[in-house]
Amino acid sequence: MRTRTLPAAVTVLVATSLALAGCAPAAESGGSESGGGEPGGTLIVYTNSNSDGRGEWVTAQAKEAGIDIEIVGLGGADLANRIVAEKNNPVGDVVFGLNNMFFETLKSEEAITAYEPAWAGEVDEAAGDPDDGVYWPLVEQAIVTVYDTNTVDAADVPDSVADLWNEDKYKGRYEVNTVLGQATPQLILAGLLSDYEDEDGDLGISDKGWNQVKGYFQNGSPAVEGTDLYARLSRGDVDYGAIPSSGIASRDAEYGTVTGVVGADDGVPYVTEQISVITGTKKETAAQEFIDWFGSSEVQGEFAQEFSSYPVNTVAREQALPAVVELMESLPKQELDFALIRENISGWVEKTELEYLP
Amino acid sequence: MRSPYRAMLRSPLVIVVSVAVVWFIASFLVFPNVNLLVTTFFPGGQFSGRSVEKLLSSERAMTSLWHSLLLAITLSITVNVVGIFIVLVTKYFEIRGARVLFLGYATTLIYGGIVLAAGYNFIYGRYGFITAAVQNVFPDIDPNWFSGYFAVVIVMTFATTTNHMLFLSSALAKIDYQTIEAARNMGASTGRILWRIVLPALRPMIFAVTVLTFLIGLGALTAPIVLGGTDFQTIAPMILTFSKSSSSRDLAALLAIILGLATIIVLAVMNRVEKSGVYFSVAKVATPLQKQRIRNPLAAVVVNVVSWLLFVVYAAPVLLIVMFSFLDSTAVITGTIALSDFTLANYGTVLGTPAVLRPFIVSVVYSALASLIVVGGLLFVARVIQKYRNRFTTTLEYLLHIPWILPTILIALALIMSFDKPSPLVGGAVLTGTTVILLVAYIVVKVPFTLRLLKAGFASIPDSLEDAARILGAKSLFTFRRVLFPLVLPTAAAITALNFNSLLDDYDAAVFLYHPLYEPLGIAIKASTEGENNLDSMSITFVYTVLLMIIMAITMYLVYGRSAQLRTRKAHGRRTRGIRVAQIPTRAPVGHAPDERR
Amino acid sequence: MITFDNIEVTFGEHVAIPDLNLEINEGEFFTLLGPSGCGKTTALRTLAGFIEPSRGEIYIDGKAATRLPSEKRRVGMVFQNYALFPSMTVRQNIAFGLAVRHTKKDETNRLVDEIADQVELTTEQLDKNVSELSGGQQQRVAIARALVLKPRILLLDEPLSNLDAKLRVQLREQLKNLQSELGITTVYVTHDQEEALTMSDRIAVFNHGVIEQVGTPEQIYNRSNTEFVCTFVGANNRLAPALLSRLGLDAARPSYLRLEKVSLVRHTDAAASVPLTGTISERSYHGAFSTYSVDVDGSDLRVTSSETGVTPRAVGSTVELFVDPRAVLQY
Repeated sequence: MRTRTLPAAVTVLVATSLALAGCAPAAESGGSESGGGEPGGTLIVYTNSNSDGRGEWVTAQAKEAGIDIEIVGLGGADLANRIVAEKNNPVGDVVFGLNNMFFETLKSEEAITAYEPAWAGEVDEAAGDPDDGVYWPLVEQAIVTVYDTNTVDAADVPDSVADLWNEDKYKGRYEVNTVLGQATPQLILAGLLSDYEDEDGDLGISDKGWNQVKGYFQNGSPAVEGTDLYARLSRGDVDYGAIPSSGIASRDAEYGTVTGVVGADDGVPYVTEQISVITGTKKETAAQEFIDWFGSSEVQGEFAQEFSSYPVNTVAREQALPAVVELMESLPKQELDFALIRENISGWVEKTELEYLP
Repeated sequence: MRSPYRAMLRSPLVIVVSVAVVWFIASFLVFPNVNLLVTTFFPGGQFSGRSVEKLLSSERAMTSLWHSLLLAITLSITVNVVGIFIVLVTKYFEIRGARVLFLGYATTLIYGGIVLAAGYNFIYGRYGFITAAVQNVFPDIDPNWFSGYFAVVIVMTFATTTNHMLFLSSALAKIDYQTIEAARNMGASTGRILWRIVLPALRPMIFAVTVLTFLIGLGALTAPIVLGGTDFQTIAPMILTFSKSSSSRDLAALLAIILGLATIIVLAVMNRVEKSGVYFSVAKVATPLQKQRIRNPLAAVVVNVVSWLLFVVYAAPVLLIVMFSFLDSTAVITGTIALSDFTLANYGTVLGTPAVLRPFIVSVVYSALASLIVVGGLLFVARVIQKYRNRFTTTLEYLLHIPWILPTILIALALIMSFDKPSPLVGGAVLTGTTVILLVAYIVVKVPFTLRLLKAGFASIPDSLEDAARILGAKSLFTFRRVLFPLVLPTAAAITALNFNSLLDDYDAAVFLYHPLYEPLGIAIKASTEGENNLDSMSITFVYTVLLMIIMAITMYLVYGRSAQLRTRKAHGRRTRGIRVAQIPTRAPVGHAPDERR
Repeated sequence: MITFDNIEVTFGEHVAIPDLNLEINEGEFFTLLGPSGCGKTTALRTLAGFIEPSRGEIYIDGKAATRLPSEKRRVGMVFQNYALFPSMTVRQNIAFGLAVRHTKKDETNRLVDEIADQVELTTEQLDKNVSELSGGQQQRVAIARALVLKPRILLLDEPLSNLDAKLRVQLREQLKNLQSELGITTVYVTHDQEEALTMSDRIAVFNHGVIEQVGTPEQIYNRSNTEFVCTFVGANNRLAPALLSRLGLDAARPSYLRLEKVSLVRHTDAAASVPLTGTISERSYHGAFSTYSVDVDGSDLRVTSSETGVTPRAVGSTVELFVDPRAVLQY
């Protein structure tokens, strides 16, 4: 960085206006060269898991532990894209919250660097990156298909989610998310296709598998932007829909629903949120410290209590809410080959987008 | 004039401007985007035509593409019909309460996007008020009646008359009133005068806003997602999805280029039609427009009724949004609203968040900086392009339209990837990760819109003013500052305000480019509305929208409210003498050869 | 003072002025006259430096000025639409050129007041916005703005064409008076032959970019060199061959006779006048004089008559006309 006048000028302008407005942040020290620029100063933490107050909680807890962080919270796909695009001059120091799929992408782009955290022994290595140990697992959740037991008769509930698109009576009665740029819909798609691996098939998937996808989207009711699944459930727009398991409890409270979960033959897709150091950070030590702290059983345990999460850290899991543990343990985990998924997901999304979406 | 290049080279100002704009185009328009497109279409150095094949064989892509085109074409007609109507009833005809009507119609200036579509949904959608009311009378009606092509067209038509309100109104005000008096004197009816005198005079501006409308139609994203249903999905969501996946980015780029080509064709057609019938006032002395009474009583009643119906259509979503922002989210979502559902909790949530003001300030500073820089810089560029017509300036003009062709997401990605290492183009600096890169992106995306409207603004200034200044010895910069600038100032201010408002809640560029310590509003809104346990997202969006509407309304007031007062004052002075010479162009704009070269 | 030497002006393919040669003298009121599209404004704009000729040279004061930028030519110009700056007051408009030259404030005010006085603008008007002035007042502002810089040459591009008839006649005189007072070399463009005749020291008549004739108003009017000049300037009778034969003139050539050269009374000094008899078919009354259309053997002759002390002739009455064949212009 030889010429810094322009960036510096803009920074000064923005910062001055903020200062004038009396809300300059504590983390001003970084200036325009913060981020991956220089050692010391605020650690920039990239995450898609900052909503519902998580970001603020982590920032405050870290500060107590003596780590100054600034959260950059973006949607999963956007965040992954940003990290890859910035890889020659990284802004962020640590990334957490993305699922295995995105972390596989970051790994293959060499945008993240291996580091073995202090708590490595407390997690199931298989949930992360058992081959190279580039990223490490934090929390798990399942993507489940739910219904409201108040309105749906137990007898009508399908035995397996696949019945939803294979049986006529559910046609148009379940919600499908068609925004395939997002993480959850991508994972559902991956879950649908993983069972139909076929080397000779299109994109490594047999025709039968593609027919599943076709049926799934054609018979579903596309999600309505800005309208929550549970709002649609309680209005009677649809009877079933997929949602990450951590969102169930609060919705039951809000909508007065009693959630039931539709079973699955091969188990349900699990999302495991990971953490890793961003390649090229100038604050590698600080980044590693943060990982050691955040993934520790103590912090993960508190996090689980605060946000109803299901930690991968076995020690921390003991502190998880019983209801969460009960739900998670009742859901068989679908075996997913994330390396394969990572390799093919773009192609799958593309094909689905072009051929199968309603 | 014979040798345009020589004339250009004679002015130091033109040389400086040319050098600056060439640098800007090379650094921020051509280099990053070519960089991105090359990596996209030539993965591993080999051209890949797979995207063409893929798209052609996808029925869904073709249908969506067709829908986008259809929407653009339909809107070009419907928006003009509604837009011209609202301009006429507020500025041309004598209608009671025209000012109130104007305020109602002007609401589109301060809202749009998801909120608008949602607002319409709450009125006309399956659980909307109107639907419920209609259902009471006709129980058999399909509750999903407000969906598909028809619904999208309706919503977008009423949402995109902004440009008509701003630019057609000002063009109307410049019509020489004597031509209308003359026509009336010859016995022409109100309708005939409108059709044969007023509308032809507005033609250049109508063409200009039609191009903008066409673009809006092509890029339609939110309204089709919310209201299109399965039958009417457009291409923009697909482009968005593909842009975000590095392996599908070629499809996104290809689709964007197809839309870009459609835009260029429309531009070319409009230019041609425009050229074939250039209208320019031949009046030496023009009189200001006076409002017309509609003489046919039946027509008067119809126009009044339609005007007020439209007023309701325009104002209702805004009022609803304000109301919803005070409502418990469950009440809004389930559509059953009782008095007890009103609450201040939503505002509490938003305003109670620590440092809630911060993103507002960051966005205000960024938007203001970007709007001022883009308008300030392009003032000079637009003048050079408008004044010197030659191959060089034409090329510049086309290149400056690049941001219209590519979606913002691709532009943002191209910027990050191109400036992540020291680049000689920007003096060896690295822009990725600095605060300046978002500013650059904001400037870039606002270039085409600003350029087109500024050019139109300059075209209405007679050349003789500049000649006069020159012969009096003024250098080009002095002339620009003292003579030309004051005349385009109203247009420039309007564009600045529009740019400012549209950048305030930007998400697409910010998501990739924002500096971690300076989180802009779009990101903050998105963050506060996302989350699996966040059930109040809709209400929070409404609160932010109301806050945004307040900022935008203040901006518009600063630009329009104040200049309107100024105008009224001037008009008073003018009326005393009734003569206005200096502002009326008596010569065609340069480039459209008039028969006599004086 | 001003020389156009082999000037050629083209616009793309179109040749506006093929080859212009012209001399304008110091202190002269020189008019470029012609129909619209004849190239007169192009010539003026070339002289002003707004258009660069594709060939030839312009000399001002004996010095080549072709490449000289317009602000260095010391010419002042009044535009057809005045080109007043709408965003400024009258005073600011007039002072614009002084502001460019960084003239001191006191000096500027003095010069503006002085010139305003000369063109008869009141102090009150100076502080108005230009859009509040009438057309005639705006014209004066335009002239004042051009003159305040004390140019050597004043260029006027149809400055009266925006005004009503009465004001036009009035301003014509004022303009001429102002010019002779200042003695400034003035080049005036107009399509109005009456304006040209009344105001000019000399006139150049333009047609299709070519000068048809240069001369004093008298020369232009009475001894028009070409048929174009003759028909463009002044009112004429085109004479029918039969009539020409009776006058003893070549009947094959296009021939014209000024209205006032036909007389209803025999002038004592016009011994050579040929008497003709005809019937009055039409009369139009102009106050100071009348114009009659007289049918002479089937061809129409128009004649003006100042009717002081004469009973107006009635339509249908027979009259005797007198024509001097030497006054007939033949081409």
